[in-house]
Amino acid sequence: MIRATVIERFAIAVASTLLALLIGAVIVGASGYDAVGFVYALVYGAAGNISNIAFTLRQSTMLILTGVAVAVAFRAGVFNIGVQGQFIVGGFATVLTVLALAPVLPGGIVGGVILMLLGTIAAIAVGGAYAALPGLMKAYSGANEVITTIMLNFIASGVVYFIIDAYLRPAGTSAPNTESLPEYVSLPGFAFGSSSFSVIGLAIALLAAVAVYVVMDRTRIGYDLVTSGHQQSAATYSGVDSKRTIVTTMTFSGMVAGLAGAMFAVMILGYYSDPNTFPTFGFDAIAVSLLAANNPLGVIPAGLLFGGLDAGGQYIGFTLDVPAELVDGVIGLIVLFVAAPELFRMSARRLGLGGDEQ
Amino acid sequence: MSVAEYVAERRLTTGVAVVALLAIVGGILLDVPGAELVTVGAIQRALQAAVPIALAAIGGLYAEKSGVFNIGLEGFMIFGALVAAATAWGASGAESITQGDLWVGLVGATIVCGLLSVCFALLTIRYKADQIVTGLAVWFIGLGFGPFTATVIWGGVSSPTIPNINNVVVPVLADVPVLGRLLFDASPLLLVTLVVTVVAWVVLFRTRYGYWVQAAGENPEALDTAGVDVNRVRYATVVFSGTMAGLGGAALSIGFGSGFTGTGVTMVDGRGWIAIVAYLFGNYNPIGAFLASLLFGAMDMLQIQLQTVGISLPGSITGLFPYVAVLVVLVLVGYTRVPSAVGEAYETEEK
Repeated sequence: MIRATVIERFAIAVASTLLALLIGAVIVGASGYDAVGFVYALVYGAAGNISNIAFTLRQSTMLILTGVAVAVAFRAGVFNIGVQGQFIVGGFATVLTVLALAPVLPGGIVGGVILMLLGTIAAIAVGGAYAALPGLMKAYSGANEVITTIMLNFIASGVVYFIIDAYLRPAGTSAPNTESLPEYVSLPGFAFGSSSFSVIGLAIALLAAVAVYVVMDRTRIGYDLVTSGHQQSAATYSGVDSKRTIVTTMTFSGMVAGLAGAMFAVMILGYYSDPNTFPTFGFDAIAVSLLAANNPLGVIPAGLLFGGLDAGGQYIGFTLDVPAELVDGVIGLIVLFVAAPELFRMSARRLGLGGDEQ
Repeated sequence: MSVAEYVAERRLTTGVAVVALLAIVGGILLDVPGAELVTVGAIQRALQAAVPIALAAIGGLYAEKSGVFNIGLEGFMIFGALVAAATAWGASGAESITQGDLWVGLVGATIVCGLLSVCFALLTIRYKADQIVTGLAVWFIGLGFGPFTATVIWGGVSSPTIPNINNVVVPVLADVPVLGRLLFDASPLLLVTLVVTVVAWVVLFRTRYGYWVQAAGENPEALDTAGVDVNRVRYATVVFSGTMAGLGGAALSIGFGSGFTGTGVTMVDGRGWIAIVAYLFGNYNPIGAFLASLLFGAMDMLQIQLQTVGISLPGSITGLFPYVAVLVVLVLVGYTRVPSAVGEAYETEEK
């Protein structure tokens, strides 16, 4: 993957997506559903009208942020599979901060902006700290980060659910939900008129992607992170402490995941509930990042594509009798194909499409 | 020998000692009547909970020993659980499911998961796909297509109630106190697991094929020079790992559970991941992996035990014990000497 050229990566990403969608359509057909109707509904659900587009962009906002979080770590050679958990605790920190401080701060726009800022800072701090844990475990006791981050995902959902259910549920309610955030703590919808999507949210996601790209590509810290990921011995010789780099990488990645959590809590949910019912943005983000070859800027188009797939998939779940889980399976197939670039290189060579340079 | 190496050598002993110490301290703090916690019934439940984990762990151990990190165990278990339930249900013609149908389900799950792991092996060995990313993909595909297939078959992400496989009762021996109830009136899947554990140990450490498996992961060039096809050994172990994980999944849905549950992270609920930790913890020794699985199984069943002695912790918290235990174990004995060629595709020189 590292050796591939930009054009080759792009071709592999497109081919993987198309092949996965094709297999998805064939499975739909083989299960006795209408495959053409499936593809039509997927496209219509993603971009058919203004509210569908708003939904796509809303999902894209989340996937770009979580995708950047994954990309930061993968770029530096660390597998952060725990973005989902970091996103969960980050969003929880936002809701706790806002609910705790709302009574002591003024209401209205000013109060709302201050609360959102403080809530976001809390999310970034908590997300970063939660990601630092597996970083420390990997750096200082050699614990495989793939497994520790997955365990921490399970623990994050379990503990947050427990705290909400036992302590934060308003008296007399049975659903495990916290109280709602105050009305004025929300992002304006602007052109889309959607209560759960805001252009400001998308702008923050795009800014975050660009900012992370600049840090990773143009600063000393970013350079050290990326070199120690790809050329560990070279990095060590040039005086980079590889253990500290692992912890820094994970923390940085978790901070972005925390920001995604804040966005989810403020823009989409407006309260907090059982994390087991949340969308799996943190996992889909792995596919987003891989499709983008772990480049923070590449995450933007990949995030838009997956946002569309997600929105189209949910539309299918509502309107056709094809189960929406299919789209999750298709996302898995995309990851599978992206992981095996050799598959495409070999078939391209066999079909005589370039690839002769070897 | 450095401390780290010593701990790695004695990881199981060290780990069990630490967990036991924590349990004793916790027990004293919470005033738990220890003797009432360890009953024959408790051991029985712990063994049952260990079966799916141990099967997947032993398979994964073989794959990793030969140089392929099969991180997709969780996904294969999801498919195993689903296919077992679906095949048994299909074999009965959607009528009342008999014991025979359940056995057909077991066979179906192992065959389908075996075939799926051939695809995984082709991608990672022949097409040199990144093993970690491919394994993650297997997990995602399981999480998506598992509940999808269930919906296509049953109209919902979970199956209707499906009966368990009956215990095998050995006459006379079943009346032996304690051991009789544990071993001679037990699920056939437990017996299979015990056999698999012992055979896996013998093959890996006492036969020529076992040395091939180890060499494929440690020093593939040497094995190649000795005239053994490295990739053929790897194909075999990867298919074995997928098959065992499938059997483990089947044990969950029709061995001890009551059908397939596809909600949330499905009924497999992280056991495939715990299986990986189990064999790391057992230092790539099948018997060690089984004992580690037993430890996690006991942890899983702790809630029931605590309730029977009158301590009620919320299920959402006791359900987290195995995950926390995995973290504690990895931090304490995280250092493992992974076979040196794991993750690298092997290409023979002569062509």
